Amino acid sequence: MANIAAQRIKREFKEVIKSEEVAKCAIKVELVSDSYTELKGEIAGPPDTPYEGGNFVLEIKVPETYPFNPPKVRFLTKIWHPNISSVTGAICLDILKDQWAAAMTLRTVLLSLQALLSAAEPDDPQDAVVAKQYKDAPDMFRLTARYWTAAYAGGPYSNPDFDSKIRRLTDMGIESHDARVALSSFNWDLERATEQLFS
Amino acid sequence: MLLDYSLCLIQVIFEVFLPSKIKMSTSLNVFIKSNTGNTLSIELDPKWDVRRLKENVAPKLGLSPVDVKIIFSGKELMDSIVIEECDLGQQSILHAVKIRHVDKQHLRDRTDSEGSRPMNETLVDWQLSAIDRKHLNTEEDREREKAQFFVYCSSPCKTMKPGKLRVRCASCRSGAFTVKCDPECWDDVLHMNKIRGTCENAICVESHKDGSQFAEFFFKCAEHPSQGENDQAVPLDLVKSNIKDVPCLACTEVKNLVLVFPCKEGHVTCLECFQIYCLTRLRDRQFSSHPELGYTLPCPAGCADSLIKEIHHFHLLTDEQYAMYQRFGTEEYVLQAGGVLCPQPGCGMGILAPEDCRRIQCLSGCEFVFCRVCRQGYHLGECSDQDMDTSEEPVNCQYKVDPVHANQARWDEANKITIRITTKPCPKCRTPTERSGGCMHMVCSRPQCGFHWCWICQTEWTRDCMGNHWFG
Repeated sequence: MANIAAQRIKREFKEVIKSEEVAKCAIKVELVSDSYTELKGEIAGPPDTPYEGGNFVLEIKVPETYPFNPPKVRFLTKIWHPNISSVTGAICLDILKDQWAAAMTLRTVLLSLQALLSAAEPDDPQDAVVAKQYKDAPDMFRLTARYWTAAYAGGPYSNPDFDSKIRRLTDMGIESHDARVALSSFNWDLERATEQLFS
Repeated sequence: MLLDYSLCLIQVIFEVFLPSKIKMSTSLNVFIKSNTGNTLSIELDPKWDVRRLKENVAPKLGLSPVDVKIIFSGKELMDSIVIEECDLGQQSILHAVKIRHVDKQHLRDRTDSEGSRPMNETLVDWQLSAIDRKHLNTEEDREREKAQFFVYCSSPCKTMKPGKLRVRCASCRSGAFTVKCDPECWDDVLHMNKIRGTCENAICVESHKDGSQFAEFFFKCAEHPSQGENDQAVPLDLVKSNIKDVPCLACTEVKNLVLVFPCKEGHVTCLECFQIYCLTRLRDRQFSSHPELGYTLPCPAGCADSLIKEIHHFHLLTDEQYAMYQRFGTEEYVLQAGGVLCPQPGCGMGILAPEDCRRIQCLSGCEFVFCRVCRQGYHLGECSDQDMDTSEEPVNCQYKVDPVHANQARWDEANKITIRITTKPCPKCRTPTERSGGCMHMVCSRPQCGFHWCWICQTEWTRDCMGNHWFG
């Protein structure tokens, strides 16, 4: 790894560790390899959003050309959000693509992602299914996102209705994650989800 | 006594910080040019003062020392100034001018005022505000505060070097010219007709009776001996010594030499990081082709209106990298002007052909004749996806090769196939584009194109694409 990139990341790593957001448990960052090329980030779901109470783990890969090119970031924790792929965890955020600037840091990236959880941008979606639901059935979207937060990110809210629908499908031999995806995609319509899973 | 002591101190600091001055103290070879066309070559001791210089030079010009004034770098040098304070280099040119009668009147009222100090002594760094200047207290600070210029010396040094600011008359280009006031910022120096002065050249004196011509500033490399009046260097105005100890925006270290971007915030990078920044953008072909400035870059912090205006700054790259910069810049220019690049491997000649001409021959390059649309060997009729050029079968060959197999076993063909499989061309500029995940909404990566298109439809990105196949 180029010297500059490693040096920068070291400093930014310290900046995050010392930041007040870490003190408030809002963001976190850990080393994956000693070479500073790969890091693990964590952000807390912002209050008053369906992600509240959840902790979301991020994969951060630092390119050789950092800070002149952006870090590659994706969600490792599954999440239901219009700008984040529910399949791969890929993120659609301008500052991680063409709007990246060399003055940005790990801390600003983590805070921007947290802000993205508070305010989605459904007009530039990464996940079309989620984005459609976000626009057409906002209540259903909120319930689904909260349910995913509970299932994958340790969120506190349970939903017995959704639980029982998933159980109906797992009883038929479907993996629970696949069942959750199918039901979420069809606004928890058990019949249509079943149809899609077995077609 | 105290004055002596401080002079001595300055001397010591000079020697510590500018070791090159020590060499000069042995003997200095300079040229003296008179406004009547004579040029003398003289050896002088840098410890001499200007009075001694006049006494030496005046007789050779047939004048008496009191009738001569010595002009260097836009300033008349007063008698008490010591030569080594004047930033003279080997083979520098001084101008000896006969004092006109009008001047004699002035001369009587004049003392060695601030205005007649050599320019290198009076100029302070333009990046400092008046308040900053007050805070510089120590001798070391003041030494650093003195204006420092950096230039690209194209010959013979071929690299960035410290520079010296010089002045001449804007109309006759004579160096026998004195400025009315010092330049105060880069604008005063880089733009014409900002600073007024008086030209002593006989021709100019005739045509401008009011004695008020404009000064023209230029730079010389401080490293090599002057090679005459036409020896110039390009100022790298963004390179500065880091007086304020600003950390580099990329590596966050505080370096002595930095490049300050022309954005509102004046973002700072060290020169090493600037080189890496250029190289990163160059390899991604992310430089901007500006119609007036050329192939250049903005501030890496993403500031608006921050393009580097003096493209000689890219000489901070290595020779090899600079060659790549030049090649990419030229290619971008050819493409923008509607031209094509010869597709023959190793050629890449830029060709500007009429818009409606499909048969293109690389005339000044490899002579290859190709089709403008598919970039394959020229053919009649529609372009096909496959290569058209099957090599002619050799008549008397030891072993036979199946032309189809030969076609697939070509080194460049393997690359071409990979490119064809993994990429789709931008519907607007045809740049092969790879999609490495994410949604189907593509934005052309060529900064000059930036077209929004759909990976599936291969047409402009629309609301329908958004509704039907955002994610595949």
